[in-house]
Amino acid sequence: MEDIILKTTDLTKKYNNKVVVDNLNIEIKKGEIFGLLGPNGAGKSTTINMICSIVRPTAGAIELMGKNPWKQKKDVIHKIGYIPQELAIHGNLKAWENVELFTSLYGIKGEQLKNAITESLEYVGLMEHSQEFAKNFSGGMKRRLNIACAIGHTPELLIFDEPTVGIDPQSRNFILDKIKESNQKGATVIYTSHYMEEVEAICTRIAIMDNGKIIACGTSEELKKIVNGNDETITLEEVFLTLTGKKLRDYAE
Amino acid sequence: MIRYLIKNNFKLMFRNTWSIVVMLLGPILVIVVLSSAFSELMKSYEGVGEFAAGYRMQDAAGNNVMLKALKAAGEEAGIHFYEYPEGEIKDMMEKNELAGFVEFFENEYVVYKSADYEVEGITLEYFMNKMMNTAVNASLQLQEQEDIVLPVEELNFMPAVNARDYYGIIYIVYFCWCGIICATGVLSNEKKYGIARRFYVSNITGLQSYLGKFIPVILTVTAGMAIATAITILLYDIHWGNPILSIVIVFMMIAAGTAVGLMFYNLSDSLVITIILQFTIVWFMGFFGGSFETYMFSSIPDTLKRSSPIYHGNRALVELSCMGESNYAASSLVYSFAIMVVCSMIAILADSIRKRGRA
Repeated sequence: MEDIILKTTDLTKKYNNKVVVDNLNIEIKKGEIFGLLGPNGAGKSTTINMICSIVRPTAGAIELMGKNPWKQKKDVIHKIGYIPQELAIHGNLKAWENVELFTSLYGIKGEQLKNAITESLEYVGLMEHSQEFAKNFSGGMKRRLNIACAIGHTPELLIFDEPTVGIDPQSRNFILDKIKESNQKGATVIYTSHYMEEVEAICTRIAIMDNGKIIACGTSEELKKIVNGNDETITLEEVFLTLTGKKLRDYAE
Repeated sequence: MIRYLIKNNFKLMFRNTWSIVVMLLGPILVIVVLSSAFSELMKSYEGVGEFAAGYRMQDAAGNNVMLKALKAAGEEAGIHFYEYPEGEIKDMMEKNELAGFVEFFENEYVVYKSADYEVEGITLEYFMNKMMNTAVNASLQLQEQEDIVLPVEELNFMPAVNARDYYGIIYIVYFCWCGIICATGVLSNEKKYGIARRFYVSNITGLQSYLGKFIPVILTVTAGMAIATAITILLYDIHWGNPILSIVIVFMMIAAGTAVGLMFYNLSDSLVITIILQFTIVWFMGFFGGSFETYMFSSIPDTLKRSSPIYHGNRALVELSCMGESNYAASSLVYSFAIMVVCSMIAILADSIRKRGRA
């Protein structure tokens, strides 16, 4: 059981009687890159927000590294690196200052903080631009800075909520390589995206969510087998569309 | 961790050109416009000449020694006291063109002011306030002495302030209460770009989060007000009284204004509502407190005036400027401190409740 980093039991979230996450049960082992796929409004971000103690669950339990993140937040929160979907950085701060601000929230200071900032910026390839204002960065650079702001405290669990939205293939490729590198260095990763090829390329295990429930979970190959037996020509996107349907998912938060 | 939060929030606020321009140019422009517009009005206040006032002693209201001293001091100050033991006070004032009337009771006195002699009425009120304080102190020490000579030459009761000094001071006070403007950039960014979520996924406490905004706002507004004050002193030769006490009073008002703004923000979770509430309340406090019509000429009831912290600040700073001392300095400091503490506590509590009950 020791290698279970995250376990949710019957995790549920309701907004005004509308069930957004419905009795979710997942287990993520240490060292995994766990992909969470789903159409818009499937409940992916809400699930991540509950794990990160941003949104309070309506029912169910979360066990993060053996602790309840809502009751034992101080013991566990510094072990998480949360990379939000939004570019949660200050445009009027320089890259260095942004990383300093967010890394210092974990109690890191002085020389240790300087080293952490340097490592984070080098890690995302922005050290040369450390003294430039974030507002002048390109979309890809901002995405990389968004990541740098979440990794300075060397978390054990990295949670990426659609980190490659709206960036060019080079930046995307860079970010994916870095996620794999982090994983090789020992970090466990939870990754949500709409890009099937990304998920297929980096995730060791994938869960497909729809209407707040996990409708399939396994490796890419296992998911393909669920849908189409031994036909290896099927893509993950086809699996996804088969499982979740082709109906447009318009929703409002 | 809070050091870095304060440092970077301070940088963000100082780099928000719009808010800095408002906080710098706002008071300077208003001071220039209003001090010019009302210079004649204020001149009339400065130039109050000799005038007559009536008085009446009710039974056991005092002794002749005290009255003699009071009349002597009045003559020195250009106030001629005449006794009217009988008749309706209002009629006496109208018939005899008295600027004011003082009715003495056993342990108190009442000052009546004529609407036709507004400035003289205020002068009489100041005079009585100052004289009675001095007389009471003197009588406690010299009860056995037959003659009491009040030190009129040391009295500086006339609040003669010119328009530039008055508006130069009170609009610094007014803008001190609008300091939340400096935090708008940070607060809107935190909400718009989901930065607040990063704070949730960290070890930061509610108090640290609050201080991380409160302290930088105070620093930014203080810096802005210091620059605006220095510019207006250089350009218009505005006289501030006791500099240390004035700085402390202004600083405490900045802290109080910031706490009020952050309290509104944490309660409403909306920058628009915060700005509307803050500006409305500051406008009313300024209206009561002499920001739009001088507190000396204001027709607003004293109770309402005294309910406004801006009135205490204005009066303290203006009196420090023109008299060198003010009884309102202490009340202004206490009032500002109380507002700061109470609003900060509510702000932290509101934030904590919201975090605990996050939807």
